[in-house]
Amino acid sequence: MEYIIKNGTVYDPTNKVDGEKMDICIKDGRVVEKVSNNAIVLDANNKIIMPGGVDSHSHIAGAKVNTGRTLRPEDSKKDVWHKEGLRKGSGFSVPSTYKTGYQYSGMGYTTVIEAAMPPLIARHTHEEFVDLPQIDKAAMPLFGNNWMVLEYLKNGDLNMCAAYVAWLLKATRGFAIKIVNPGGTEAWGWGKNVHGLDDEIPYFGITPRDVVRGLAQVNEMLGLPHSIHVHPNNLGHPGNWETTLDTMDCVKDIKAKPKHGKRDTVYYNTHVQFHSYGGTSWKDCVSKGVEVAEYVNKHDHLMVDIGQITLDETTTMTADGPMEYDLHMTNGLKWANCDVELETGSGVVPFIYSPKGPVYSLQWAIGLDLFLHANSDKVILTTDHPNAGPFIRYPRVIAWLISEEYRKDWIENRVHKWAAQKSHITDTDREYTMYEIAKITRANTSKVLGLSDDRGHLGLGARADLAIYDIDPEEKSGKKIEKAFLEANYVFKNGDIVVKDGNVVKEVFGNTIYVDAKINEELEAELMKDLEPRFKKYYSVNIENYPVQEAYANQWEPINIDATEIK
Amino acid sequence: MKEIVFTVKKDIDVPVELDSLLPVKLQEMSVEEIKKIELPQGNKKISVEELFNVNVNENEAITTPKVTINDSSMKLKRIGEKMEAGEIVVNGDAGMYVGAEMKSGKITVNGNAECWVAQNLKGGEVIINGDAKDYVGSAYRGDWRGMSGGKITINGNAGTEIGEYMKKGLIVVNGNCKIMPGVHQNGGIIIINGEVEGRAGGEMLKGAIVINGPLKSKLPSFEYEGIVEDPVIKLTKKDEGTPIKGTYYKYIGDFVSNKPKGQLYLSVEHNDLTC
Repeated sequence: MEYIIKNGTVYDPTNKVDGEKMDICIKDGRVVEKVSNNAIVLDANNKIIMPGGVDSHSHIAGAKVNTGRTLRPEDSKKDVWHKEGLRKGSGFSVPSTYKTGYQYSGMGYTTVIEAAMPPLIARHTHEEFVDLPQIDKAAMPLFGNNWMVLEYLKNGDLNMCAAYVAWLLKATRGFAIKIVNPGGTEAWGWGKNVHGLDDEIPYFGITPRDVVRGLAQVNEMLGLPHSIHVHPNNLGHPGNWETTLDTMDCVKDIKAKPKHGKRDTVYYNTHVQFHSYGGTSWKDCVSKGVEVAEYVNKHDHLMVDIGQITLDETTTMTADGPMEYDLHMTNGLKWANCDVELETGSGVVPFIYSPKGPVYSLQWAIGLDLFLHANSDKVILTTDHPNAGPFIRYPRVIAWLISEEYRKDWIENRVHKWAAQKSHITDTDREYTMYEIAKITRANTSKVLGLSDDRGHLGLGARADLAIYDIDPEEKSGKKIEKAFLEANYVFKNGDIVVKDGNVVKEVFGNTIYVDAKINEELEAELMKDLEPRFKKYYSVNIENYPVQEAYANQWEPINIDATEIK
Repeated sequence: MKEIVFTVKKDIDVPVELDSLLPVKLQEMSVEEIKKIELPQGNKKISVEELFNVNVNENEAITTPKVTINDSSMKLKRIGEKMEAGEIVVNGDAGMYVGAEMKSGKITVNGNAECWVAQNLKGGEVIINGDAKDYVGSAYRGDWRGMSGGKITINGNAGTEIGEYMKKGLIVVNGNCKIMPGVHQNGGIIIINGEVEGRAGGEMLKGAIVINGPLKSKLPSFEYEGIVEDPVIKLTKKDEGTPIKGTYYKYIGDFVSNKPKGQLYLSVEHNDLTC
């Protein structure tokens, strides 16, 4: 099928296209220079065009998402998806699979990364991916509390650690190294936690610093497309900004050596809003968003996503088990948690971020502090769905960023006064441009994930994933901005129109992207000598039953890496 | 005002949902329009005229928008769900969720009711003249924010877990009650005039439960306060208090939680301290 989209105002930061009126030609699922006379013509005059959205951090499938759904039948009641011709679904903060795909697609997103996959439960995650339509997806296995990793790092054996990481990525069809509360979740197995970067991890005798640095080195040895993806220690605790800066700083001497993609960073700090709290308790807590943003602006080795609070009732879920226990003790609501054998743990707690609450309003302002003071080349828009708010609030976050007037309305009329008092949110009149919005939702994400070769932009040869929004680039009405980005005018996925006027018109099933890093055969043989007895002794599954099989995707999209030089 | 009378005209196999037949909404519709309303029945739809004979009585004596359902059965679900005004009279039994999330108005069931009577009731009054099954005035499954106002009267017996997570309002059961009335109760008052099987007020934090009949087994996590006569139940500092007639053993609980303020009153006449 050929299309020519005429006269749209295009925002494509990867190719430095900032609001130019141009035509985009699509043929065989790719952006091409020209098409034949048979091409279907689409008039995009007075509309804006962006590449398909790429979300680098969202929780859309897997064990804890499913636990969230089970734990919260009342969340299912809150939002029921019932559109003619589509699979029905439900759930506001933890929507069912089809609803997740449809809603992401309706907003113009075409690739979404599941940010935390317990390796043992990889099959389940991929099973859910099979039922998640409209988007390409990938999942990041958790490494930061894994016994094998901790032992190899304790022994200073980076090569074996690299071999294990490569094996696990392949076995779980995983995409990148995810680290959550390094050492802390493992410590939780002993009823403890780690708080600072240099606290000792029980039994293993190493520190979170060793884990973060070790895995960052391993990441670059392997040359993985994405950098390490870190949720540092101390999430959500007043005063944690220092731990955050320490963690960011501890890998700055490591150089990026991706063998796929164009990233130049070695560290990705996720939901940095939750890690930018000053003070010593919630009483004297203040925003350190500006300080963290300044660090991010000055250093080239890292990138952050925000995890913007949206002031909704939501369901928090993370592999940071001890943090979820703290949260449950704070709000007293129901919770679930578990320990995932040798690998990780997790917890799930419902949470209500009320705009009337002083702390929640401050958290909201801290996210905006980060957005408004950071270089737009270095930040990414997320809500850490569903932890800080559901992904369907991205359009509202965009509206807060684009329109100072809308932001002010919230500060003055909707949120608690702590938001303005304890942050720097009112110090700036910065307004994001559409070009910057395209950066924080498309260009930056695809680059940092190592996927910018063919997605996140509209250059020739790019995958024809794009979104057309019916909005004036100068629009400042928050409601209009929100509506336009929530209900894309058109969305193309691989060259097909999948959304029209916010409604899914074609159901497609995307690829599952994973990294296949080939390691030296002798090294792999040595690794298996280590792994097999451990599986026999400690795991509840046989090693033969552990890897995710070929059938667990609609279509696999491997990223092949040659790391055979590691011996 | 109009009284719209629905009379069931055939046996119902798969339950039908009646949440769209609300008195105020029907006032503005013609009989023909009412007959064409589609009601969910399982995974299909059924029109009102396929299921009911519809009559409209219009006279000045009717002062509030009214719906009457004759020959009703347990197969008619969600009667008066989300009702905001008016009156519904059900002659026969009512299926699940009668009066669920109702804000105002009155529902009278001259028969028995299935589970989930007046789930998450916000206001208004629901009267069941027969028995009701489990979860009368409870929260939606999984939610911790239950009934927040209104009054439910069960003139017969009630099932288990009535007033689950109740926050405000009043539930009166004139008959007997099965286990766990007021489980997780967080406000409001439950009065049971008959016998209760046991575990009254399990994990309750606030509110009050008054049992005028025997409580077969009391939870050990309630602390005895003393004998009170004609108590006035105060639930908050500003509460003027609800007077109750009789002599009661008063307990506070449930001490499985920290600092609970739940009040449990057991009539001295039917209970003893060792129960």
